[in-house]
Amino acid sequence: MKDYEITIGIECHVQLATRTKLFSEVDNDAREKEPNSCVSPVDYALPGMLPRLNKEAVKMAVIAGHALNSEINLISRFDRKHYYYPDLPKGYQISQLYQPIIGAGYVKLPDGTKVRIEHAHMEEDAGKLSHFAGYSLVDLNRAGTPLIEIVSMPDIHSAAHARDYCKELWRIMTYAGVCFGDLYNGNMRFDVNISLAKPGEPLGTRAEIKNLNSFRSVERAVEYEYKRQSKLLDKDEKVVQETRGWSDDTGETTSQRSKEEAQDYRYMPEPDIPPIHLTKEFVEEQKAKMPKLPEDYREQFKGQIADDTLEILLDYQPLMGKLDELARGDALRGPAGPEPQASGSDGRDSAAGPRASIVKRVANWFASVLLAEEKSAEYLNDLPSAKQLDDLAEMTEKSELSSTGAKEVFLKFFDPQMRNRDAREIAKELNVLQENDAGALEKIVDEVLSDPACAKAVEDYKAGSEKVLGFLVGQVMKASKGKANPAAVQPILKKKLSK
Amino acid sequence: MEITREEIDHLAQLSNFSLEDAEANALGKDLNQIISYISQLDELDTEGVEPTYQVFEMENVWRDDEIKTQEADREALLALAPEQQEHQIKVPKVL
Repeated sequence: MKDYEITIGIECHVQLATRTKLFSEVDNDAREKEPNSCVSPVDYALPGMLPRLNKEAVKMAVIAGHALNSEINLISRFDRKHYYYPDLPKGYQISQLYQPIIGAGYVKLPDGTKVRIEHAHMEEDAGKLSHFAGYSLVDLNRAGTPLIEIVSMPDIHSAAHARDYCKELWRIMTYAGVCFGDLYNGNMRFDVNISLAKPGEPLGTRAEIKNLNSFRSVERAVEYEYKRQSKLLDKDEKVVQETRGWSDDTGETTSQRSKEEAQDYRYMPEPDIPPIHLTKEFVEEQKAKMPKLPEDYREQFKGQIADDTLEILLDYQPLMGKLDELARGDALRGPAGPEPQASGSDGRDSAAGPRASIVKRVANWFASVLLAEEKSAEYLNDLPSAKQLDDLAEMTEKSELSSTGAKEVFLKFFDPQMRNRDAREIAKELNVLQENDAGALEKIVDEVLSDPACAKAVEDYKAGSEKVLGFLVGQVMKASKGKANPAAVQPILKKKLSK
Repeated sequence: MEITREEIDHLAQLSNFSLEDAEANALGKDLNQIISYISQLDELDTEGVEPTYQVFEMENVWRDDEIKTQEADREALLALAPEQQEHQIKVPKVL
């Protein structure tokens, strides 16, 4: 097999998290609802029905556009895209072909690669079809759900980057609060265009893999297409421009229909929806609502949290919000506590800031303790307070807890019986507080050293065997029932033995 | 501009119509008349004129994002479909 360069462009459909549909005043959240129970005469396309635009959908589109680093087009319009299929009773989809609301922008991938956004437009979703022997059933609950379709430039050149791009879009849209991000229920769907070329030669014919709904299937579909197309090109055969479907079960793409056949959407201006004319103030008002995005957190925590740990945590916006709260530190220690240093927006400052070690500690607990647990998703619904986490990190820093003890307490924050208690209270209950008090430790050390069972070790140490120190520390730990802080025990032992 | 039989077949295919020869011929005649009538507009010079989306000069006709109870309920709407099954609209198999 020869080497080919792969070029990928991705179209992503994002369902907006509005209460009602794009053009009708019915419930937009059809999860666990009966078929056709969230449907209005507008969605049925009954004669004489007038669609009315949902203002909230426009606001969300503006926010989404801003999150994509895009220009917002102050004037945008809707167009009719005609196709005949039972999932769309009107016989056309209301979309934006000529003047979309969101202009050119870009998405930055975790490794810094930029993928340019060509544009993004608003449109309505279609209904859902289920196929049976000899007939199909139509559920129109989803018909009319507001979508934005984000169209990337062909800037992606590997399966891994295709996956990263889709995942980053998912993060951005969910962080921005414009999409619920439930991939299983089709909140985001990806169409992936793939073509190959020999190095230096113009792009080959592309195939489009439609309707992928997981990052993994995007990656696998690209890998499969690379193999399929390169085999054809090796044999000097042609790649057909067509739409292909992906099966997670077989791990293959299959031809659905050839594009040459009849893709003629007969676009025309939508006369029912007057144009959208936004003011700059309206756009700025939406921008002001933008919460921190993944890229903001990357900058903020650069150097504080290891890159790979951060990428794991970035999948969970509530966790990042919690770390942000910890990093800011305000209102955690109360008025009597030490003055917290501002560390919010500028990553470089906060990397060296006094909150950095607290943030790092808590980040590592989340990544290595919580997310390693099977029940992580369930845990994430009810995170401990920043105060609880801050106290725990503080106690650990002061060696009041061993790292093992701290993890035990941390897990109890998610225990329904204990979740509202202070870190110290839980530590006491678990009996994991370390003894640091020099006086108390000296007493235990004296006991151990005077124990006849340790006489030999003491003798060996004095004869120059440093190794036995570990054994003696162990004896002290045992005598303290595990509560002594070994780091504090060692110097005391050394001091006493050198007398 | 004469509309060809080929174009009629293409349009029929896009709309999922199957047409008898007689129907296609009749439609062709009608369409040709409509198009020739509309073609009078070609006499105008529209160079540099913005396409007209609508004639009322309205913009931002939008509504708040509030759920309203619909007068036509699910059963009433489903009753309009030629066939239904399990609260869904039943259609011939499509792929």
